[in-house]
Amino acid sequence: MGLSGLDIYKLLPKTNCRECGFVTCLAFAMQLAKRQVSSEKCPYLSDEAKRTLESASRPPIKLITIGEGDGKLEIGNETVMFRHEEKFHHPCGLGFIIEDNLGDKEISETIKKINALNFERVGCMLRPDLIAIRQNGNTDRFVQAVKAVREQTSMNLMLMSKDFKAQQEALKLVSSARPLVYCLDKDNYQEFSSLISEFKVPVVVCAQDLSGLSEITQNLINQGIEDIVLDTGKKATTEKIWEMTQIRRLSLFRSQRSLGFPSLVIVENRADPFQETLTAITYIAKYAGIVLISGNETWEALALLTLRQNIYTDPQKPLCVEPKIYPVGNVNNNSPVLITTNFSLTYYTVLGEVEASKVPSYIVASDTEGMSVLTAWAAEKFTAETIAATLDKCNIKDSVSHRRLIIPGYVAVLSGELEERSGWQIIVGPKEASGIPSFLKNL
Amino acid sequence: MGIELIYQKWSGKINEVTIGSESKAVKIGGQNSLPFLFKEGGLPNRPRIAFEIWDVPPQDWPDELRRPYGGVLEDVIKWAERCQEEYKAEIICVRLLGAHPDLGNKPSAEEARLVELLLQKVAVPLIILGCGDDQKDNELMPVCCQAARGKRCLVGSAVQDNYRTLTAAVLADGHNIIAESPIDINIAKQLNILISDMGLAQDRIVINPTVGALGYGLEYAYSIMERARLAALSGDKMLAMPFICFVGQESWRAKEAKALETEFPQWGPQRERGIIWEAATAVAFLQSGADILVMRHPESVNCVRDYINVNYQDVDS
Amino acid sequence: MEKCKVIFYPEGKSVQIEKGKTILAAAISANIYINSSCGGEGVCGRCKVILKKGEVISQPSGRLTLEQRKQGYYLACQALVQSDLEVLIPPESRLDLDKLTQEEIDLRLKGLYAKAEEVDSVKSLEEGVFAHSPLATKLYLELPAPNHVDRISDLERLYRQIRKMNDIPVMQTGLVNIRRLGRLLRDSDWKVTVTLGKRNGTTEIVLIEPGDTSDKNFGFCFDIGTTTISTQLVDLNTKRILGTRATYNKQASYGSDIITRIICARQQDCLEKLHHAVIDSMNEMIQALIRDNNIDLNDVNCILCAGNTTMVHLLLRVDPTYIRREPYVPTANFVPTIRAAEAGIKINPRGLLFCLPGVSSYVGGDISAGVLSCGMYKEEEICMLIDIGTNGEIVLGNREFLISAAASAGPAFEGSGLSCGARAARGAIQKVTIDPKDFEVKYDVIRGGKAHGICGSGYIDIISCMLKTSLITKEGKFHQIKSNRLRQGDFGPEFIIAFRDEAETGSDIFITEGDIENIKRAKAAIFAAAAMLVKQMSLEFSDIKKVFIAGGFGTYIDVDNAVNIGLLPDIKRDRFIFVGNSSLAGARQVLLSHEAMKKIEEIARRITYLELSIEPSYMDEYMAAMFFPHTDSSRFVNVDI
Repeated sequence: MGLSGLDIYKLLPKTNCRECGFVTCLAFAMQLAKRQVSSEKCPYLSDEAKRTLESASRPPIKLITIGEGDGKLEIGNETVMFRHEEKFHHPCGLGFIIEDNLGDKEISETIKKINALNFERVGCMLRPDLIAIRQNGNTDRFVQAVKAVREQTSMNLMLMSKDFKAQQEALKLVSSARPLVYCLDKDNYQEFSSLISEFKVPVVVCAQDLSGLSEITQNLINQGIEDIVLDTGKKATTEKIWEMTQIRRLSLFRSQRSLGFPSLVIVENRADPFQETLTAITYIAKYAGIVLISGNETWEALALLTLRQNIYTDPQKPLCVEPKIYPVGNVNNNSPVLITTNFSLTYYTVLGEVEASKVPSYIVASDTEGMSVLTAWAAEKFTAETIAATLDKCNIKDSVSHRRLIIPGYVAVLSGELEERSGWQIIVGPKEASGIPSFLKNL
Repeated sequence: MGIELIYQKWSGKINEVTIGSESKAVKIGGQNSLPFLFKEGGLPNRPRIAFEIWDVPPQDWPDELRRPYGGVLEDVIKWAERCQEEYKAEIICVRLLGAHPDLGNKPSAEEARLVELLLQKVAVPLIILGCGDDQKDNELMPVCCQAARGKRCLVGSAVQDNYRTLTAAVLADGHNIIAESPIDINIAKQLNILISDMGLAQDRIVINPTVGALGYGLEYAYSIMERARLAALSGDKMLAMPFICFVGQESWRAKEAKALETEFPQWGPQRERGIIWEAATAVAFLQSGADILVMRHPESVNCVRDYINVNYQDVDS
Repeated sequence: MEKCKVIFYPEGKSVQIEKGKTILAAAISANIYINSSCGGEGVCGRCKVILKKGEVISQPSGRLTLEQRKQGYYLACQALVQSDLEVLIPPESRLDLDKLTQEEIDLRLKGLYAKAEEVDSVKSLEEGVFAHSPLATKLYLELPAPNHVDRISDLERLYRQIRKMNDIPVMQTGLVNIRRLGRLLRDSDWKVTVTLGKRNGTTEIVLIEPGDTSDKNFGFCFDIGTTTISTQLVDLNTKRILGTRATYNKQASYGSDIITRIICARQQDCLEKLHHAVIDSMNEMIQALIRDNNIDLNDVNCILCAGNTTMVHLLLRVDPTYIRREPYVPTANFVPTIRAAEAGIKINPRGLLFCLPGVSSYVGGDISAGVLSCGMYKEEEICMLIDIGTNGEIVLGNREFLISAAASAGPAFEGSGLSCGARAARGAIQKVTIDPKDFEVKYDVIRGGKAHGICGSGYIDIISCMLKTSLITKEGKFHQIKSNRLRQGDFGPEFIIAFRDEAETGSDIFITEGDIENIKRAKAAIFAAAAMLVKQMSLEFSDIKKVFIAGGFGTYIDVDNAVNIGLLPDIKRDRFIFVGNSSLAGARQVLLSHEAMKKIEEIARRITYLELSIEPSYMDEYMAAMFFPHTDSSRFVNVDI
């Protein structure tokens, strides 16, 4: 576990010299504890303090990069068991397995289908990250297939073969794209490690249990190979959840370096794509760095990518609703207009009361960066100026024929200036949302 | 190299809540371990799925969702019977929407008779939900509770601003209560305290954390549930209640579940999309500790039931 | 411009005012201070006046009932003067400007509920800590007259003599003094008194007077609060406190909280008005104290001010706008020493004005002073300082570290924004108990007589009692009980504390669910801020060995009740120490010791400020505290509710 702010503070010079850019040594220490800054910013650290801080700040789970350029996949560097404790940092990669024994045409079609799998949700593009080519037959066919895939997609690659020659040839072709090699196990890792060292590519280590994994990875680490992804093979889902949990716990709580890597899970259930999807859902939630599936249906990808987006959202950002007009009930051009902030708790409280009033109304959520009414007012995010701008921007005047705006009672002081700036007649609403129903009914 | 695993021992335990009476009663909760970590503690009761039915024909359900209930949407008793017989429902959840002043305003007595009839026709445990209008529910729910007296139903929903009448009714007629809070762990806990302060036993309360669907804020309730579960396992008795998640209601509001392929060709066929949206939402919440999933599409229910059965195999043997 | 004459009753004071100005403006011109929490926006409804004669134009206001309108009530801030007027100011609208009585000042400074020995222990805390070296020192010098051998210049002669008596390395003197020096020395037969002032690291000869006046060396220390200004006149030679005064900050007429005043300051002329409001208050108090003690204004050589950052900005007429804007950076935390006259403070024209250094926009020099005077900065054990005023400021730490935060608690604990709220002054209800059987209410009234409202500590007692007697739930909603005190009001149920015949206003004094909600929010903000600091430092409340409670309000709190409602943490009650106005005490220490000045500068630089509004988990802490006593009851095991 990392050091606390106070632990770190005790290692600092405590001179409050401010050369690090922070006002006090303690403020700097608190940011160090959160790993938001580098200890190098302090020019006066003792050597001993430097060593302690460096070892404490080494990420317990190594960041692994697969591929290169804009579309590269970065996984690992996770710091918590549960997303609310801080956040999950690097969204798990989603990939598809393509068999090399498919015909060229089939491969092309599959790739085309996979390439088309991208969706826009709440302003983000969601797309899969990885195509894995799996060897079924001879060396040449595998290399051919890798070549074909490489030519037809910019997606990151994974090479699935235990054929030394095949891997070697394939890597000669595509190593510059930093593919992920699958896999080294207890039987082949001595031989394959030279290949990995030569091409400097990330590699999956596979073993049936954590001790087995640890033995191999420790050996590789000793050889300087540290871009590792872990796989414990095919197992029952609950057993897998247990192992993934253990890997995460051991690396976070016990700094088990030999397991301090992201893990990969292969989910294959061609007979039942629904179950395949649900199993993949499980691992996206529980600690997978990469999930590989066999199906490539749109609905499957859409569901998995959406869940990934949800799980990897930063939970420390305040809950906001989109700043816009929300019609409640059967509104018409005479319906009252209420304004509030876009802090979701505030908005939903107001919404609940407006619904309860049964008076069809418009609620305008003004962008206060997720602050509540009084906080936003104090911080100048909910002022006559910003409200007037919101009214303009959301074009509420196109929705109603009147010009009467109801503002929260707590910011009644804004009335005068807001009336001048917006040209709307300002009606001061109740201070508490609970007063809204009777207020709207008696309007 | 030997690896010594890390076992977490918890001091707390989730309350075991019994829904329904006699031989058909269903138990939920009772675990002292995080979801699916069988090696670390007991998970004695599998998560259960309830079918959601309405006392009025739903207007806004997409065709894909209406199809499995062809011919019975107009008759809630038949609807319940189909869920029980054809789709093997373990629990039925009836929403008395018809009592809502805007949706027919059915008299409370009529709804109470309906509850009585349902209890006669349906053998599995019953969840009874009000119409959502506070004023009407305060009149409706006490008579429905009375009509179901002794059947140990799960009744909802109590909210922070309106929990007293329902709690009193549940207390008087021996039911369990759903305590609903708006994605807020503090309010969830406060409500549990307020309800307990009125004298209702803690093992009669089920938390509704108001989940969002996949893609629609799922992660908020997901984390609230994880936090609450961790607190409960660490000994916080006021959060040691099982969770009920209204997955069907939320999922089928999602555009991804409802939209026709003609509207969004890039999303592929609607049928599978709708089913997986509901099932995926459900399975995600199983990871954060859901104990009851209230669902709608029989096919989604099947998928999730298979998932639960496979993963609870060891518990059965 | 046409002028109208406005006469205010019951004083009978009259003033000439331009037609079209508000009654509130007329009152301010007449030096009569009327409540106005919202700063004249017509919102708070606290500036009600009764028009006896004359004509006004006024906007209709929801703050006046129909009955009141019939009786001639107007909001002073909305009523525009149209003719000569006669106006009656009812007691509830009065900002009690007549100086607080000595008794009341003592209460404020000592702590109403604090036991005598606790006050003594606080006193002993501060005594003898710092060497006596006041910020202004007087030295009587008898200089050897120059001759053909000893022919150094007059100024060097003066320096030489000073250095003989005093180990002072650097010295500077203003040109004014030098111009007068030659004549002055000779006229006074080389016998003069110099006043030395510490100014920004050097020593300045502030003043040179003929003869020996070294026994007349006085200074004032001030605590400039958002609501109250307190001061002490101190004999800098003997360290004796010659007198104490407290008065309301006249800025209250422009809004009761800091944010409203910052907004106001941006309007035309308003910064000027706010500045004048505070210096007027200060000058009046200085005048009164020197008069009482027969002191010449010219013998007052320095002023020391502790105030929150906004108050210091306004005192110096510095635009406070940026305090409120992200990233909340003030213009200055460390203010250089200036002449008091530059700020408009009337003492010796050459006298100096010092402001204690602050930490950030929302943790000011008053808090640095609090840390200094309670001594937490040198404690081995972990301490906490909680200063509850219009804002709540909290400092956690010991000799090793100090970390602070500010909670926008709002003015609820000062009685503002509540249906029957009042400031903790004459006529306010406090020390309330409720009988669990029949819900009968017992209370004290500050300074006796009939009650006109409830002050913050009264609300704490009331809510604690209502929880104990199950009158309300833990979320602060009324249970349905049978009592003639519980009735349905316009905004939901309300509970009557004092019936109309016990009230000065002739109306019932009551508490509503909205009031409870308001107090709940304020206490949640303060508790959550304290909890955040404790959490940030990976501590528990139980690790804190001393909790210093400061602030004019803080001195009135009943600890058990404050813990019952979850305002203060549930730790051993004997760890709470009332320090009264720790800010004023700290200011006095600095006034009397240059060493203390150096120490407080070090303290202000050492304190780390935690900006809660950008801390992701603050909101969660706050929501958890929005319950009585707290959502996490395991943090409040020893409460009696």
